[in-house]
Amino acid sequence: MKYVDEFRSGQLAQKLARELEGLVEPGRVVRIMEVCGGHTHTIYKHGLEDLVPDEVDFLHGPGCPVCVIPMGRVDDAIALAERPEVIFTTFGDMLRVPGGRGSLLEAKARGADVRMVYSPLDALELARANPDREVVFFAIGFETTAPATALTLLRARATGVRNFSAFCNHVTIAPPLRAILDSPGLRLDGFIAPGHVSTVVGTRPYDFIARDYGKPVVVTAFEPIDVLHAVVMLLRQFRDGRCEVENQYTRVVRRDGNPRALAVLAETMELRDTFEWRGLGWIEGSALRLRPEFADWDAEARFELPGARVEDPKACQCGEVLVGAIKPRECRVFGTACTPERPIGTCMVSSEGACAAYYNYGRLTRRREPARA
Amino acid sequence: MRLAEHCLTCSDAAVTAIVVEVAGDTALVVVDGRRERVAVELVTPVEPGDVLLCHAGIALERLP
Repeated sequence: MKYVDEFRSGQLAQKLARELEGLVEPGRVVRIMEVCGGHTHTIYKHGLEDLVPDEVDFLHGPGCPVCVIPMGRVDDAIALAERPEVIFTTFGDMLRVPGGRGSLLEAKARGADVRMVYSPLDALELARANPDREVVFFAIGFETTAPATALTLLRARATGVRNFSAFCNHVTIAPPLRAILDSPGLRLDGFIAPGHVSTVVGTRPYDFIARDYGKPVVVTAFEPIDVLHAVVMLLRQFRDGRCEVENQYTRVVRRDGNPRALAVLAETMELRDTFEWRGLGWIEGSALRLRPEFADWDAEARFELPGARVEDPKACQCGEVLVGAIKPRECRVFGTACTPERPIGTCMVSSEGACAAYYNYGRLTRRREPARA
Repeated sequence: MRLAEHCLTCSDAAVTAIVVEVAGDTALVVVDGRRERVAVELVTPVEPGDVLLCHAGIALERLP
């Protein structure tokens, strides 16, 4: 099938793996962070970690929006869902994310009207079909998902639907990367940047990483050949002494992204001064809120929210996993107290989370001795 | 079979969809053999046969 088969070719994978063998310096480990959880899953589902030389070490970044939602925001969502007039709509992965007061799924079990949707446009339809109820959409996601919320808001305004609102938790990709790059003791050589966020924002937002921090970046698609190709591109940069932002996902991603998507985002949303990220703390300018012109569709403006800050469970090391400081299997509760069935931390809840990837694809113990750094 | 089945930035995937018909800002597309409606404001003009990258009910980009 076009766009799939050619990017899953075993023959091509072997060829790229052989090229990688020639590009690594024996014994010198290169640490590559794949920002997006989608890449983490490609690496483990397709066994890429076993295919690349021992000198290539994958670190898993903060690119799963479910994983970075702080517990206090989940509690706010539950408070909204528990209002009798509200139909609370959410993407499926958020249902099981634990807040300080349990999860949305538990709230649903207690009687809250919580419904799963695949698109905010479905939530808008639900609002049209239930004019006597208030439909609130739990808007989460990076710039990939935010345009869907933006288009929905524009359609709600254009068609005069007043019983729809968004609880906006959209986040932006560049600020957390800067936070990671500024973190003390950083041991990181380059980035595999997310392909679909970049479809919207383009490759320019990563320029500062190469320019100011001296780390190369390759924007990458999600098939196994794509990820291997990106590792080859990064290692070629190391070999050649280059430090650039390169685009591996040329079949979709353009330098300037999708200007129309950026325009609808700018029309409906603006940057928050600061926003709390699980594991990373408060990061300036890292999230979006609705513009005042959309206050009528802004759940934060229309409903009172607890807004309490909730500390992560002490045993949970999601924060360290999200910045690549430890591997999921090094977390003290991984696979024992924290499993996909009974998650403590968000990285185990989300199908995108690094811990869920390790658990589901059997990376329960260290497979190989690390090459000496 | 889906393209990029794992970029679930939100529990939804960015997937390729083939346009069947277009009505205003909405297109009927086929994804994985299923028929769905997606918003196409961000990629218009589209016509039947176009391949779109879709996420959370909207088309984000067109594929060559």
